Amino acid sequence: MSETEAPRTAVAALVPRLREICGEDGVLTDTSRRRTYESDGLPHHHALPGVVVLPTTADQVAAVVRLCAGNGVPFVPRGAGTGLSAGALPHAEGVLLVTSRMRRVIEIDVENECAVVEPGVANLDVTRAAAPYGYYYAPDPSSQQVCSVGGNVAENSGGAHCLKYGFTVNHVRGLDIVTPSGEQVRLGGKGPGAHGYDLIGAFIGSEGTLGVATRVTVGLTRSPERTVTLLSAFTSMDAGGRAVSSIISAGVLPSAVEMMDALAIEAAERAVACDYPAGAAAVLVVELDGPAVEVDAQLAEVTRLCSEAGAFETRTASGADERARIWKGRKSAFAAVGRISPSYIVQDGVVPRTALPEVLRRITELSAATGIRVANVFHAGDGNLHPLVLFDDAEPGAAERAEEVSGAILDLCIEHGGSITGEHGVGVDKACKMPRMYGPDDLATFDLFRRALDPDGIANPDKLLPTPRLCGERPGVRKGVHPLVEAGRAEQF
Amino acid sequence: MTLVEGLDAEGCALREGTGADAVGGLVPARVALPSDTRALGRVMSAAAGEGLTVVARGGGTAMDWGGLPRGLDLLVDTTGLSWIEHIAGDLVVEVGAGTPVAELFEVLAAAGQRLSVDPVRAGGTVGGMVATGVSGPRRLLNGALRDLVIGMTVVRADGVVARSGGRVVKNVAGYDLAKLHTGGLGTLGVVASVAFRLHPVPRALRVVTRPVPSGAHAERMLTVLRRSTVTPSAVELDWPPEGPGSLRVVLEGTPEGVEARVTEVVEALGGESAVADTLPEGWGLLPVEGTLALVSVPPAESVRAATRVGELAADADVRVSGSARSGTLYASFPPGTGAVGVETVLGGVRSTPGWSATLLRAEPHVHAAGTDLWGEVPGLPLMRAVKDSLDPDHRLAPGRFAGGI
Amino acid sequence: MTDPESSHQTVGEAVNETAGERDRSFSDLLNDCVHCGFCLPTCPTHVLWGQEMDSPRGRIHLMAQTHTDDVLTEAAVGHFDNCLGCLACVSACPSGVAYDALIDHTRHRVESEHERPRSERALRGAIFALFPYRRRLRLLRGPLRAYQASGVSSLVRRTGLLERLSPAMATMERIAPPLSSPPPELPELVPAVGRTRARVGMLVGCVQGAFFPEVNTATARVLAMEGCDVVIPRSQGCCGALSGHAGRVEESADLARGLIEVFERERVDRIVVNSAGCGSSMKHFGRTLAEAGADRSWVRRGRALSERVVDLTEFLVELGPRAERHPLPLHVAYHDACHLSHGQGVTRPPRALLSDVPELRVSDLPDKEICCGSAGVYNLLKPEAARELGDRKGRDVASTGADVLVSGNPGCSLQIAAAMERAGAPIAVTHTARVLDASMRGLTVEQLLGSRRAAPPTVRSARSRPRPR
Repeated sequence: MSETEAPRTAVAALVPRLREICGEDGVLTDTSRRRTYESDGLPHHHALPGVVVLPTTADQVAAVVRLCAGNGVPFVPRGAGTGLSAGALPHAEGVLLVTSRMRRVIEIDVENECAVVEPGVANLDVTRAAAPYGYYYAPDPSSQQVCSVGGNVAENSGGAHCLKYGFTVNHVRGLDIVTPSGEQVRLGGKGPGAHGYDLIGAFIGSEGTLGVATRVTVGLTRSPERTVTLLSAFTSMDAGGRAVSSIISAGVLPSAVEMMDALAIEAAERAVACDYPAGAAAVLVVELDGPAVEVDAQLAEVTRLCSEAGAFETRTASGADERARIWKGRKSAFAAVGRISPSYIVQDGVVPRTALPEVLRRITELSAATGIRVANVFHAGDGNLHPLVLFDDAEPGAAERAEEVSGAILDLCIEHGGSITGEHGVGVDKACKMPRMYGPDDLATFDLFRRALDPDGIANPDKLLPTPRLCGERPGVRKGVHPLVEAGRAEQF
Repeated sequence: MTLVEGLDAEGCALREGTGADAVGGLVPARVALPSDTRALGRVMSAAAGEGLTVVARGGGTAMDWGGLPRGLDLLVDTTGLSWIEHIAGDLVVEVGAGTPVAELFEVLAAAGQRLSVDPVRAGGTVGGMVATGVSGPRRLLNGALRDLVIGMTVVRADGVVARSGGRVVKNVAGYDLAKLHTGGLGTLGVVASVAFRLHPVPRALRVVTRPVPSGAHAERMLTVLRRSTVTPSAVELDWPPEGPGSLRVVLEGTPEGVEARVTEVVEALGGESAVADTLPEGWGLLPVEGTLALVSVPPAESVRAATRVGELAADADVRVSGSARSGTLYASFPPGTGAVGVETVLGGVRSTPGWSATLLRAEPHVHAAGTDLWGEVPGLPLMRAVKDSLDPDHRLAPGRFAGGI
Repeated sequence: MTDPESSHQTVGEAVNETAGERDRSFSDLLNDCVHCGFCLPTCPTHVLWGQEMDSPRGRIHLMAQTHTDDVLTEAAVGHFDNCLGCLACVSACPSGVAYDALIDHTRHRVESEHERPRSERALRGAIFALFPYRRRLRLLRGPLRAYQASGVSSLVRRTGLLERLSPAMATMERIAPPLSSPPPELPELVPAVGRTRARVGMLVGCVQGAFFPEVNTATARVLAMEGCDVVIPRSQGCCGALSGHAGRVEESADLARGLIEVFERERVDRIVVNSAGCGSSMKHFGRTLAEAGADRSWVRRGRALSERVVDLTEFLVELGPRAERHPLPLHVAYHDACHLSHGQGVTRPPRALLSDVPELRVSDLPDKEICCGSAGVYNLLKPEAARELGDRKGRDVASTGADVLVSGNPGCSLQIAAAMERAGAPIAVTHTARVLDASMRGLTVEQLLGSRRAAPPTVRSARSRPRPR
């Protein structure tokens, strides 16, 4: 029985101190419990954490990190474990620092239009707390009812509505962080805070490699006077794509423009019976919000543009229930694909919006050539593709072929001047793909920044940047040696 | 002189510095004029080899911003890096750092698009706008300048050219280093080019101006606005020393929509509101001379901060203006205001919890008096660590930034 | 279930089963989980403790560990036991993971393989010697004398079950009609009022039958007023829900067989159930019997019966209204019993029926998908967690400012009423059937809630209290 077996690594020595810090029930050492933390939302990557801690206060987080720093033990921050880049993949010889017990909404400050929350608070709970006052929290990742604000900070999460309202970084005003050395620093606050370097901006999206956020002040957005959701069905993806282009070039800025192809619609239909128009090869979900008069004017325009682009059916919904029904299909699409395929890979790439039709055509060709089905669900407004590469892992070689297709799609994104990730982050999953998007100098500069705050490399190591350990040695042109590299404090890419 | 030989770099003109090139009283030995990013990289690399201190200059409209540099061997003039690549279909533009902001705006406007920021200085370049990082009034809908930057190419102190971000709006690959350089006053690298997200120019614009005779009245007006759902692009408070103040509400959208929203705002604000369909002359521009402070407060305390600054300044005639809805205010001191007067205001603001005050520009005599431009800066040790990492020899505009960075 | 072969045994139906999904293996069902975590916020134990092992995703991981390593660890059993079986995760899951089938199977394995400490074994024994038996339960309600005289008394006392039961009993005594005047026992047939539209069977239930007989009376009357001949076989026993949820699959299957035989004899179109837990369980007799290893013919008979089972509200909406509804000026908070909303997917019908009553206003609870902590016998096995969940739910109910709490399950009503009484804000509770009955019969609010309306002055003051947020 491995029931009470303590981890046998260096981290084991920390356990008694960790128990003093987080309490008996705040430290998990037995194997079966630790194993439940072996992956985040990307279970393909998994590792048994050395030890799991569940702190309840910022002081506890700081004490845990200080202990790690003092002993050279790595730590990996984890929120709700919904990330899709294995950014919270545990370290086998490290501490997994879970913020799921830090979930107090500390304050809703209506006068200053902001909320102060602990990192474990679910994204949607901020909106729930703000709703009675006529406000909401704008970033809305698809996992918003689960994912934590701390995780959103780490990943700079967006969501369907970031087309108009931006990402986490555009809404965070203040952060309390625990640095990789265990210091507690308060950055910004309720005001705009324009002090020194924009560390808040740089911390957001750093995927836990620069420390842990322990308190977050986010700006709240006034609930719009009117919100209308429009569902337009097309007989081809091209027609849907044309509608998107004409909406954007007409100068309309919807809060969201989402597109799904036939396969994705089928999955959503099976999972949540969303009742999208039958026979649609593509549906477009467009949301408009703002002052009622503006929304009405835009709605007329968008409806016209969709029908000009060839929409065979357009529905509009303005009631919360009806809108929720339209969104239900879109929001459940990822997990729903489990209903039409035993396994799948969710890809996350970005292309310039104008390259969408071309890239979608190339994906279709790729799919036809390899026999691997690809379902497309994406934020069409900002060119953020989420192809779902379907395969059956029972079939020999299928997983590898799916990986190849998935990788080829990313190459398409880079080829068209896009990005390897629009919102899921780099994590472990894409660390080795960073050199496809950035040159050695760019990567080396990222590493200089990282080492500035984490000289010993204990904060979520092996994430975000490629390392020889993760990706193998890369033969590359070596240029002048940076003093930090020379001193062994930074990595040469 | 070895200096010139050592700096000789392809594609980069060099000349001797003159009094007109002085920054904070220091005349650079040499002025470099790189013609493109590579040349900028080469000359920076050469400067690193020689161990020279370097300050970058675009339009030269903010050379008196920030602290006084401790050294200045080489001034890098970025105006040769002037190019615009407008990808209209994607609502994205990438611009060379030396491009005049006005030129960029013209190109974008011709395509019915805009960079949704109001410059605070006339005649500046894109690089300077980003390096000073200060945003004007219209920031409530699309964010401040830092929110519109989607990619940046920067030349490091050692001459290495490094890019972060890209040309797509949605992108979370790698660290967002552009955030550090935005407002970094060139202390972490020299900005070579910037990619921005753009917005379509709204078809209609209205400015509602409402006089506010007292602080209490201004606060009431702001509360009324906050409760409404008219979504203004800007809510600008102007609080002149001679009083009375005014509020300007900018509404943008469709012609039909804007009309209705103007009506709503006018009704909500009551009294004699004036409605115009163009922005006033000099909109968003900060005074070009005199000491200038940035006061940041929680938004609900904007009016209180404005009136408090007025009280603290006593007879110094300080004008306070800024984005009341976001809590960003600028306090402009008349030229010649003594250091003591400035420090009184700074001290008073800084001693209020949650408030901060930074001198964006101090007059020479204020510098001479040793006035603390920054006050307490949370996270300063982290900032020093970043500086040490990216510019280990402290050669980039040393002393211009917080904590002597 | 200890041999490795068992790993490939069929688990049975998923909630929205299709023929293809029926015979999928346990490991297959486990693989449906994509680890997205959407279940976390709806899981009551995750809400309480914020740790992975006490979330459905974590438990599925533990099940997979148990399955692949073929070892049932003490830790895993603890976390399986912590599960309330509320099935909120089933509603939340976008991938259609059949957590209900997974946990039932796992509990069965725990019960067959795991040696519990003696005291816990005794407690469980006592519970299941008591609950499936209406007569024994009814004895608990009498004076102590009657209780002591009962056969189960010493067992109940020895295990400390009485202490655990007593707060619930006290609440029950307060909110249920006095024992001195129990409603007359229901006849075996209650004929339709007017033209007959359907012939239905009715389940009496153990807890409902013993403690809330008036709910059964109301149910029969409502059905009759809506034009149904209501058949109420005297010989019916427990449906086996409580045993099934605790992993006592054989016991549960035996009870199911009994009920199947009873209702097979009556020629009824539908079997109407007014208790969410019973209905949810009766809709899965096929799975229960398959899990217990019953032969094919029994599984078939189970499925056939399950297909005829409907919740009262579901049935009434399907039937359409005929009887006149009279006004009831009341503000009710409707609580979704987990086994109605998550277990059976019935959320709209009760709201629709209540909303159709003139002058009655229905409010939803905040966090309505979270379990109240009653969960069958969970409140007896895990009193602390149950109490904490009950307190949360009580606060949510209070925040609505409603006059009365309505739900479709006796356990929930008791649990929430007890919590609100503890918090010093007692509230009247009743069943959807009783509200409909009162409206159809033109009773007043006072007649509906009667003297049992929780200490009227307190209720009024509770109502006038400002809402907590």
